[in-house]
Amino acid sequence: MKNPAMFRKLLLSLVALLLLPVLAQAEGLVAGQSFGKANEIVVTFAAAMDAAKVTNPANYVVYEEQDPDIRLPVTNVALAADGKTAILTFAEPLNSTQAHVVSIANLTQAGKAAESFRVMKSYLGYLLSILVSALLINNFVFTKYLGLCVFFGTSKRKDTAKGMGLTFTIVMVVSAIMSWFFYQFVMKPYGLNFLQIVIFIGLVSLTVQAVDTILRKVNPALFNAFGVYLVLVIANCVIIAVPLILADNEYNFFESFMLALGAGGGFLLALYLMSSVRERMELAKIPPTFKGVPIAFIVAGQFALAFLGFSGLNIF
Amino acid sequence: MKTILTIIFRLTVSCLLAGAVMGAAFVMTSKAKKHNEHVKEQKVMLNLLGYSEKNPAPASLGMHALYRYIVTEGEALSMGYLVPLADEGRGGFAFVAIDLDGNFLARHPVTIAEEEAREADAREQAILSVLGPGRTIRYADQTIIVTDGEKRMAYLLPGKFPGFKTFIKVMMAVDPAYGILGLEIMEHEEDPGLGGEIVQDYFKNQFKGKAFDTIRKLDVVKTPLPGDYLQALEAGKRGGLGAEEVAKIQEQYKDNDIYALTGATISSRSVTSGVKGMVRKFSYRIAILDRVLAEQHIAVPF
Amino acid sequence: MATDKSNMQLVVNGILNENPIFRLVLSMCPAVGISTTVMNGFMLGVAVLFVQVFSSCTIALFKNKIHPRIRIPTYTLTIATWVTVIDLVLAAYLPEAYARMGIFIKLIVAFAIITMRLEMFACKESVNASFWDGIGMGLGFMFGMMALGLVRELLGLGTILGYDVLGFKPLLFFVLPFAGFFCVGLMMAFFNYIEIVYKRAKRA
Repeated sequence: MKNPAMFRKLLLSLVALLLLPVLAQAEGLVAGQSFGKANEIVVTFAAAMDAAKVTNPANYVVYEEQDPDIRLPVTNVALAADGKTAILTFAEPLNSTQAHVVSIANLTQAGKAAESFRVMKSYLGYLLSILVSALLINNFVFTKYLGLCVFFGTSKRKDTAKGMGLTFTIVMVVSAIMSWFFYQFVMKPYGLNFLQIVIFIGLVSLTVQAVDTILRKVNPALFNAFGVYLVLVIANCVIIAVPLILADNEYNFFESFMLALGAGGGFLLALYLMSSVRERMELAKIPPTFKGVPIAFIVAGQFALAFLGFSGLNIF
Repeated sequence: MKTILTIIFRLTVSCLLAGAVMGAAFVMTSKAKKHNEHVKEQKVMLNLLGYSEKNPAPASLGMHALYRYIVTEGEALSMGYLVPLADEGRGGFAFVAIDLDGNFLARHPVTIAEEEAREADAREQAILSVLGPGRTIRYADQTIIVTDGEKRMAYLLPGKFPGFKTFIKVMMAVDPAYGILGLEIMEHEEDPGLGGEIVQDYFKNQFKGKAFDTIRKLDVVKTPLPGDYLQALEAGKRGGLGAEEVAKIQEQYKDNDIYALTGATISSRSVTSGVKGMVRKFSYRIAILDRVLAEQHIAVPF
Repeated sequence: MATDKSNMQLVVNGILNENPIFRLVLSMCPAVGISTTVMNGFMLGVAVLFVQVFSSCTIALFKNKIHPRIRIPTYTLTIATWVTVIDLVLAAYLPEAYARMGIFIKLIVAFAIITMRLEMFACKESVNASFWDGIGMGLGFMFGMMALGLVRELLGLGTILGYDVLGFKPLLFFVLPFAGFFCVGLMMAFFNYIEIVYKRAKRA
């Protein structure tokens, strides 16, 4: 990156955007909640609680957010010695991918009532898992086989690979966010889903044109370095696949952002890895029949095989 | 300036032309699409129940759709079921509201034709109009109750759960005791050769014949599929084993866990746990609904 | 400028000399992604053929009315329109095949081959020539996809078009998703080999 100050700013705003959902959590009698072991929910109270009130399983109503009518029976509630941490044990293992709603009846302390609250895996973790999934597990190049024309075209040199990857990531994020707005606020309310392809490709062209114009005026040096790749972005299927996927999955704003970032980053990663190998391969003795594109395909196949090892990866 | 105007004019005209072409295509295909989807669904349902072209379903067979909604009123949630009515030959539908503890709340008659009830939008409009203002509804799921005359034969449960890559959509048939009669994978995007094998007989037929108690504890094992079981599961394909033999082998393995697909344990596990969840939730809900219908003397055709 | 090739030559050109997959190395995504069976290759080939022919004809028909400054957006709009049409038609009448091809039908819109053909051929030639060129390119793509599908299906599943021909599965490896890369690479190498041998024989 030629402009470190700008890059740092970009990174900072990114972090701020990520932290937003975490900071927005409300304060109350219940200070924290999380999934414990397979069939446990751990509730942390803001103050020490009365054991007699807390440990009565009948006071708890717990259900999965999607299925409010199916109560999950609490078999036992254990309160830790400090009176702040309660462990709810359930008869059957919980499905921790779903958000659970817990409401506690008859529990007041110092004028504050414990209302119902949601227990789910950390949202930040979920967002990061979308990012990691798009980056590694479902890498668009190596496991979804998209964007291959541009991939093979621009992975001959490391410099080209970096330039293409970065340009692509920026356009990807911007166009995905615009597509998300369009999908949520125009296409869905007016039943225009069948126009998906036209609208998304139109937005991508618009983004490319806008980035082109802005870059040309604001930072000509950067434009000279990256301008050539802008045209190629449009011929990359990933750029149109991402809006289609996020429309299919009904992702919200943050999730869409993460998916786009992961898709762009994954493409950058794939390009960089591939170009590193291809630079070396120029020195290798390759049979004439395999020279050029065929050997590149074989290498990409090996990368794909290696990336298969990421499947099932579950960090968060 | 003149060039810009020409460009704008030409772009507008081409957009209008494109819009006309796409709109025409949409109008022409949307009806056929709905029709084909409906036909396919019917075919899958009948297949799951063991009927085919050679063995057509009896005329007395009735299929009654039951739609479940989640009703929100302010902060409070409740369940609502759109049930078909059987009384005095008038037919029609009723929206039965049940609170989260399983107690009857209200019953609203809904006037909607049977064909219209299949359309999600029309159905929603009709329900909202009888509920009155201040309430919103969210569609949850659909169940088809299969009857033969007075007797309940089976339930058909469409469902959707996360697989290895994206969602897996299935259709499942269960008997009145909630044992599985059959499973069909409707849509999936698992990898071909690996997770994509969930559509094969030797995987999905493993669920056939599992009793409710077995399903509750059902797990996935990574041992290879025994040879005789494989033959029994694929009996429909090559016509190798006779019906009696198949029944015998099925009986022998009916309490076993699901044998995972080679190289696709995650896909196998997601299908198993998805099926488990569907059966468990459905059995709980239908019991409540049946009790309420009986208490309130709501006559239904199932 | 009008092309001096006959209609037949245009078609053959698309299938052999400028085969989109093996010679021009364009539209690789579906070639790797869903060329697991002959049928998949055929269906996507039909879709691409449709889009290519209709887009080529549309552009050739209106070539004098398109302002040079908005050439590319017009191409994109044309392609996107025809992709939407084929997408809707397939979803309505062939839901099963449509489900198998997943997102790839919609992604035809980003296939470089179609835009390239519009830019290099259709915007200069007559409707008739563009039609045959579109047919050639579409058939070339279909041929490439089906050839890949044939190899992968035969070696991976031991079947052709779903019919069991071998009775066993020689190398399951070939239908696994990542094998698409190897398969395309090996087939390209194979064509290169034929070319090298052919040239050598000619010289001798």
